[in-house]
Amino acid sequence: MASVHGDGAWSGAAGRWTARLLPWAVGLVAGVLALGPALGPGYVLRYDMVFVPDPSLGTVLRGADGFPRAIPSDAVVAVLSLVLPGDLVQSLALSAVFAVGGAGAARLASRAVYRGGAAGGPAAGSLGAVLAPVAAGLAYVWNPFVAERLLLGQWAVLLGYAGLPWAVGAAARLATARPVAGFAGLVRALVPAAVGGFSSVVLTALTAGPVALRTDGAGGNRAGTAGEADRGVRWWGRAGLFALALVTASLPWLLPSLSSGADTDPAGVEAFAARSDTPFGVVGSLLLLGGVWNSGAVPAGYGEPVTASVRLLLCLVALAGWVWWLRRERPGFGTGLSAAALLGFALALLGATGPGRELLTWLIGLWPGFGPLRDGQLYVAPLALVQALGLGACVRWLAGGRSLRGAEASDGSGEGHRALGKGRGGIGSLGRVGLAVFALLLPVAVLPGLLWGAGGRLTPVHYPEEWRAAQAAVAADDRPGAVLVLPWSAYRGPDWSGRPVVVLDPATKLFDRRTLWNDDLVVGTPDGGSVVVSGEDARARRVARVLEPDPRTGMPERLEAGTLGALGVRHVVVSAPVDNRFWSGVEGLSVVVEGPDMVLLRVHEQHVSPDKAVIPGLEVTGGLVTVGAIIWSVARSGSSLVFQRSGPSAGSGARKEIPK
Amino acid sequence: MIKVIAACVIGAALAGGATFVATSLATESTATAEPVNETLYNYGDR
Repeated sequence: MASVHGDGAWSGAAGRWTARLLPWAVGLVAGVLALGPALGPGYVLRYDMVFVPDPSLGTVLRGADGFPRAIPSDAVVAVLSLVLPGDLVQSLALSAVFAVGGAGAARLASRAVYRGGAAGGPAAGSLGAVLAPVAAGLAYVWNPFVAERLLLGQWAVLLGYAGLPWAVGAAARLATARPVAGFAGLVRALVPAAVGGFSSVVLTALTAGPVALRTDGAGGNRAGTAGEADRGVRWWGRAGLFALALVTASLPWLLPSLSSGADTDPAGVEAFAARSDTPFGVVGSLLLLGGVWNSGAVPAGYGEPVTASVRLLLCLVALAGWVWWLRRERPGFGTGLSAAALLGFALALLGATGPGRELLTWLIGLWPGFGPLRDGQLYVAPLALVQALGLGACVRWLAGGRSLRGAEASDGSGEGHRALGKGRGGIGSLGRVGLAVFALLLPVAVLPGLLWGAGGRLTPVHYPEEWRAAQAAVAADDRPGAVLVLPWSAYRGPDWSGRPVVVLDPATKLFDRRTLWNDDLVVGTPDGGSVVVSGEDARARRVARVLEPDPRTGMPERLEAGTLGALGVRHVVVSAPVDNRFWSGVEGLSVVVEGPDMVLLRVHEQHVSPDKAVIPGLEVTGGLVTVGAIIWSVARSGSSLVFQRSGPSAGSGARKEIPK
Repeated sequence: MIKVIAACVIGAALAGGATFVATSLATESTATAEPVNETLYNYGDR
């Protein structure tokens, strides 16, 4: 069996390959276990997760009024769908969350926890050096945060979450790398966040920003050589490079958002605040990495007293492991990541308190850019990384320096075993190994609701034939004009999805032209009421004023072709079963497709006054700059999969960096 | 080597048993009922 050196560098060619592939294997296996049937043929539809066959890149780029939330994630999906089936693209996107996240956390643990024998830590061949990264990787992708965001359909946010360990490693490396090399590594590490979009970049800034500022290249046990420290840049230089990398990754959505003039409804502060989904209140739920605002996104069994209690114990043990590791190893990024976790936890709690809500409302009134702070639970992500690394440290402590061949290898300090007072190589030591494996798998045991398609809640379905027929009919029409989506409500519970599932109406993304739909968000409150968070599409507001839809059905009493045409509407889609056949006998409207769940109407050409829709040049330019920067950063290393070390390794086991 | 592997297997088996128990609890849980047959759907309910 391959052996490992203290800093995680495995000896021998086979060992090096094992060290490279094991973290990815952890993430992939976790992904298969979690997604299960969702990876099969068909589209998984749930809340915000809407993938459609043959999405239109031009439509995504033209976008709608308001904040460009679908940029660039939907654009990336559209590009990939040019060469791959849409359902395969979705499977790849979901798998990437687990593979990239699991591998990133495992590599971060592997590179950061273990160092050369001279400085202490597990020696060659230690079991702890194998199990600890696996534990960290598994814990990072198997927790309530991932489960709840997945059940909320926020795959793009999760992609940004998956990139956090890589961004932390790259940010820490700014302290020791040459500026250009450090910048390139950071841009490369920001690829998942760049694809994820706004929330992902904000999350990355929160998590890796303090690391970039706080990492001390010349201090701590993890310090590198004097030469390495000299190559690095001072904190203000690191701050500049970090900000520049973030802006570079954000250009596709940043430029259009600056000119969008979109407002953010402060009502979302109450609607999207963290809530309690365990017996431990909001604070306890957030500590457990849960607390998402939507009760429909809580994995089955998670809030049960038994599982939640064990989960709480696991979190506390992981945090203890993190503190133990910080005190023992003093990793370069430790202080920064701890600060990020504390800051994120405070942000998550803001919306759960009266004064915090007032502050958020005031901030959003001041500048709509503070809108993402409404969804507080999002910001426990850095705490998830801290807990994952902490659990890895616990497993490493338990497994200690036991050799894979059974003998007790040299363990720099050997403090773990001495702490228990057990004899080396005795039954106590083997018991610790068993306990280490148990602890490694405990995140899965206490969150079984994520297993196999989240307990069947992530099931792929096929679009009905009439949906595809409507898509094809609209694509075949060479006359301009928008598609109006009815009923006038954003979310559907389609019967054809096989089982009840709430999802953003797929019709909003199905067609190759601008769609007009109600982007107001209605959130039910525990007292049976509801909060309406106003949408951002100004044109949709104008349509609503003209339609005057029945609030109970979302359907207009009657529509005239002239009225629709004046709104620039060429097609009307009714994407749910309705009793109201308002189109019957209306002159100037013809039925193109009619089925139980889909009706496509066409407004006769002479009535339509279409708006001119163009792809904003600024947006395209921004996107090209970002893509160019990513290509440049990858070309510098020769591989996008080269992990940026979290800091210079000390000791004999450290690998030398190859000068670029 | 065999002892180490046996210890790992025992640890994994214990975790598997715990997962089974937790899955049973999750199956019995009724906390997350999905809305059905509504005319209009909320984005979600708190």
